[in-house]
Amino acid sequence: MLKNTKCECGHQNPVGTVLCEACGLPVHPEDVQSDKPLEMRYEGAARRSQKSNPNILDRVWNFFSSVKVAVYLIIITLICSIIGTLLPQVNVIPSNDPASYYATEYGWIGELYYALGLADTFGTWWYKGLVLMIAASLIICSLDRIIPLYRALSKQQAVKHETFLRRQKVLYTGDVANAEAWLGEMEAAAKGRRYRVTREGNALLAEKNRFSRWGPYINHIGLIILLAALLTRGIPGWYMEQGIALKEGQTGPINGTSYYLENIQFTEVKEVGPHISGQELQFAFETEAVLYRCIDNCHNPLSEPILEEVKQHTIKPNEPLVHEGYSIYQIDYSFEPQLTAITFDIGAEGRSLGEIKIELADPAFFYPVGDLTFELSGYYPDLTNVNGEPATKSRQPNNPAFIFDVQRADGVEESYFVVPLEQFQTRLKGSGDAEVLQFEIADMDASRYSSYMLVRVERALPYILAGALIFLFGVVLGLYWQHRRIWVRIDGDQLIVAAHTNKNWYGIREELAKLLRKTGIETDAKSLDNNGVTKK
Amino acid sequence: MARNKWVQLTILAVIIAAAVFTVSSNLSAGSSAPQVMDEAVNFSLYGLDGALHELDDYIGKPIIINFWGTFCPPCVREMPLIQSKYEEYADSGLVVLGINLDESTVTINHFTQGMNLTFPILLDKNVVRKQYGVYEYPTTFFIDEKGVIRQKIVGEMNEGSLPSHDIDLAIRRLLYG
Repeated sequence: MLKNTKCECGHQNPVGTVLCEACGLPVHPEDVQSDKPLEMRYEGAARRSQKSNPNILDRVWNFFSSVKVAVYLIIITLICSIIGTLLPQVNVIPSNDPASYYATEYGWIGELYYALGLADTFGTWWYKGLVLMIAASLIICSLDRIIPLYRALSKQQAVKHETFLRRQKVLYTGDVANAEAWLGEMEAAAKGRRYRVTREGNALLAEKNRFSRWGPYINHIGLIILLAALLTRGIPGWYMEQGIALKEGQTGPINGTSYYLENIQFTEVKEVGPHISGQELQFAFETEAVLYRCIDNCHNPLSEPILEEVKQHTIKPNEPLVHEGYSIYQIDYSFEPQLTAITFDIGAEGRSLGEIKIELADPAFFYPVGDLTFELSGYYPDLTNVNGEPATKSRQPNNPAFIFDVQRADGVEESYFVVPLEQFQTRLKGSGDAEVLQFEIADMDASRYSSYMLVRVERALPYILAGALIFLFGVVLGLYWQHRRIWVRIDGDQLIVAAHTNKNWYGIREELAKLLRKTGIETDAKSLDNNGVTKK
Repeated sequence: MARNKWVQLTILAVIIAAAVFTVSSNLSAGSSAPQVMDEAVNFSLYGLDGALHELDDYIGKPIIINFWGTFCPPCVREMPLIQSKYEEYADSGLVVLGINLDESTVTINHFTQGMNLTFPILLDKNVVRKQYGVYEYPTTFFIDEKGVIRQKIVGEMNEGSLPSHDIDLAIRRLLYG
């Protein structure tokens, strides 16, 4: 059956309207009979989610436009977040095998926690789904309400039905002798308090601070922008966080990029501070670093990468090296003295033939000295003995040992085994009468500190800040101003004045009392209360 | 109200797109190392031979990936066994890739020549090792023709003693199911 939604004032209202768009008379007859204060939400306009016979699209819309649903979603997300903080999550546990770590460290609770996927609560699809649903709710709740509200507030009229006025929460009724004169005084008084006044015959509408109604919607937009910015973290290249450890003098690649970083020198700044105990205080630790871009031979362990210097900077804890979205921070260091290079002076029967310098991290194969060719055919960074054979204990050059194959100009081939730190060397292979070459340590390069740095990319940050600022702006807008409206209707000598606000009813009663006093009507704020401000 | 329907549909489409994006980026993040019955993660590494080797080029054959280093005694002990198995099953198309754990080229070269290793030795600088979640050495992955990891053995492999670390058993399981 078709429902008649035409108001007695002649205006045709869309289905679902609660208060007539033109005159404010309640659309449903039952509402007209009642004497409870009017339901003024969203100006009584028809909302998308209220229409009857919802199809599937409408049902989804209705679900997300419900504030009750939104509150439930927030509570569920809150509880899940709390559970996700009960045990340390996978990204901070000191183990590479999460499954066994949770079981051994926390027993059956840990095992259950891990099995349910709670060890990575904030990364699970269902948690992200919850956040996504909150985002959907934000968007749909806002749209469902702001569109009818905006339309209703834009085309509101000054003339309102008497029932509309009598059922407002702030009301004054009385007599007035000269309607025209009184209205003029009222208009002047209202304008004096910054109201915008429109008049239509013997009706008057005074309105101020409508903009504060948009506050909640602006702060929802801010939240949506914030959530969308967080979502962009999934875009490749928008978020990265990795550590890089470099010894002094070492140049290493930043994985996943074409950049290389060099640690030229690490400095630890300690001073005896002004502390009473004369205690040594640490003031700084910093790395003098150079950022390079690799042009060729990148990520090929067999050849030297060709690097182009990009930037030089002394990286301190709060002073990162910043370049094109990449920020490199100093986060830690350790005192780990280590040899980085050894220079040998090659001697034969007292005279020096030349020098060879060996980089201990990844030594080269060939070293020419005069008319000799040295080939490094074996290298044990940390010499040890396994079943009588030389082997290496670790990858750190703590006790380097070298096997040199020497080819002389006359074609003779020799082999030498040199262990500099043990002052041991021997000729493994060679002709008896040729003089034995002597390897003397001429120089040693060392690194004292290992510097730990963090490479970070966070391109979403400006958008997150923008979202947050917009949110704050919306909150301020909605919090510090109130939307106030005063309607006046004079029939003959009967005066009806009604008022409405979205918050701070006490304030509008006081203000209306002041305005009425200005027009000569003595009244106090309390008497304007029309049975609605105090909680029922 | 037809205009509103399009607004509704557009919003729904945007939200679904965001959901798909979130879920798919979650799944493809690949943050966890591949386990048994997972697909082997592709990688490309330079080999001792100077060529660039990509795992995808070898998929279609049974593959053994062994993470090793000369500083790791059990890795050294099992190398001759791996080499002999490589030769034994060469006819079956068995591929063996020895991924070295961040050592200098001189060291690796000296070792492989001394052991007469003929399968490709790949040079990894802590990239693929982390991708595969290898923290104990040696670790060996057995990958079938479809590129699925069928077995992962952590620790020194043998032949004929401990069945869980028996390389011959593992190879035959890989080849014949």
